[in-house]
Amino acid sequence: MPDTHYLTTPVDRERIAGLALGDSVYLSGDVVITAGIPSHQRLMEMLESDTPIPVPMAEGALLHFGASHTQLDGKPDVAYINPTTSSRFNPFMPTIISRLGLRVVGGKGGLNAACAQAMRRTGCVYLSFPGGAAPLYARALTAVRAVYWDDFIEHYRLTLLQVDALGPATVAIDAEGRSLYDDIAHSAAARLETIINELDRTRENDTAQCRGAAGNGSIT
Amino acid sequence: MTDVPIGHAIVKSVAAELYARALRQVPGETQAALRHLATAESNPTARRTIAIQLESAAEAQAQQTFVCSDAGIPVYVVRIGTGVRLQGDIRRAFVDGFASLIATSDPPLLPHVTDPLTGERSHAGRGMPVVTFDLIDGADYLEIICSPSALGSGRWAALEVFSFPSLATIERYVLEVVLRAGAQPCPPVVIGVGIGGTFDYAAKMAKEAMLRPFGQRHPEPMVAAMERRLLAAVNQTGFGPMGTGGDGTAMELHVEYSAGHGYTPVAVSFNCWINRRAGARIFADGHTEYF
Repeated sequence: MPDTHYLTTPVDRERIAGLALGDSVYLSGDVVITAGIPSHQRLMEMLESDTPIPVPMAEGALLHFGASHTQLDGKPDVAYINPTTSSRFNPFMPTIISRLGLRVVGGKGGLNAACAQAMRRTGCVYLSFPGGAAPLYARALTAVRAVYWDDFIEHYRLTLLQVDALGPATVAIDAEGRSLYDDIAHSAAARLETIINELDRTRENDTAQCRGAAGNGSIT
Repeated sequence: MTDVPIGHAIVKSVAAELYARALRQVPGETQAALRHLATAESNPTARRTIAIQLESAAEAQAQQTFVCSDAGIPVYVVRIGTGVRLQGDIRRAFVDGFASLIATSDPPLLPHVTDPLTGERSHAGRGMPVVTFDLIDGADYLEIICSPSALGSGRWAALEVFSFPSLATIERYVLEVVLRAGAQPCPPVVIGVGIGGTFDYAAKMAKEAMLRPFGQRHPEPMVAAMERRLLAAVNQTGFGPMGTGGDGTAMELHVEYSAGHGYTPVAVSFNCWINRRAGARIFADGHTEYF
């Protein structure tokens, strides 16, 4: 059975190395979320030009989550958060993971092999948060600490949240660069011809049955 | 009483209400299908993921809040019974209905309507909402299905045009599309397959197949058998809930087909596990039924 872990940011490398594929994780502490390609492009530009990032993320968590921004008593607030598709950020994430020294990235759908290799070098895991669990993630949200890049639409902003037991998420890429997504995709591709053969056999039976039924006049 | 004209006000109001419902509810039969998958699931991570999905569905319903942050773009499938009388700007009512939802929704919707030429996002745009119209001979109601289309599942729809394909070729293509989508469309998904007709009609059939209520096989035994064996094949791929492994990659798979020429488009459409869709019928006697 997979283990369950309670992580609080910042997380040291040893702790991250102890997470196995399929384990369950609840994340607490400060996490940064964003959901935009423009936000990743801006991060890349800042890293390339050695411009300081507005919020330090060394040994921290950067999650691909969308957030609906509101105001509460004149301060920034968030109505709901939910993971978004990480794979569209594949081109940016190897650099972002390594240069920021991230320990946790996450969202849904996973990242590619190049990202997994950056995670192995840096000591970082990818957490799969089930999509469509916004009501559960809202319960874990304890504070909106800061919002950067107001010139972007709300879910593209860099948003620093404080969370308490955000999850459960599944360790889908570990700190050795092993990826459930790659493993499953490879095994599905390897199994395809077997599945097709089974499909062909079933079709022959189905067709014979349907023809038999038609011959008996019992088809309607 | 009959022959009350269906006008802008009622269509606007129902269009907004359907969207609001679609964002907050996971259809009951979909929750039942998730429970069914969980009982057969051999992977403990997958069982945990389905438990979270069901808990989220219950919580969204209890709190009347959104299940997902991606509210998608507005898509309405409208079927007009020929026994109803329409009056006023019915097409406009969908634009106004979506705008009124944006103006009043609590919680608010994120801006996902994207200009494909500039990448700019907002709550409105050219051609929005996507509304298709069809006719139902003799019916005394106007039927509206709201199916918000989000990135997770919308991105992975596919269509290819074949020349005189065998059933084996068609079914292999469906599986190849499923393999390409993999973990991305938030499984366990609902898959709609449209075969034949023309390029645009195959896509429309795939969408209609995707939106078909659960528990209804295609009326033709040959097609019903294809649905069953393709669903079984998809659930041999091993992607599982959220693509982190398991038996339950799809909850349901439906096929629609039409005669065509020897060139045969095959379209495949996905809906994520939330299976967002909400429907209503506005009757000629003035009452509305939601389903």
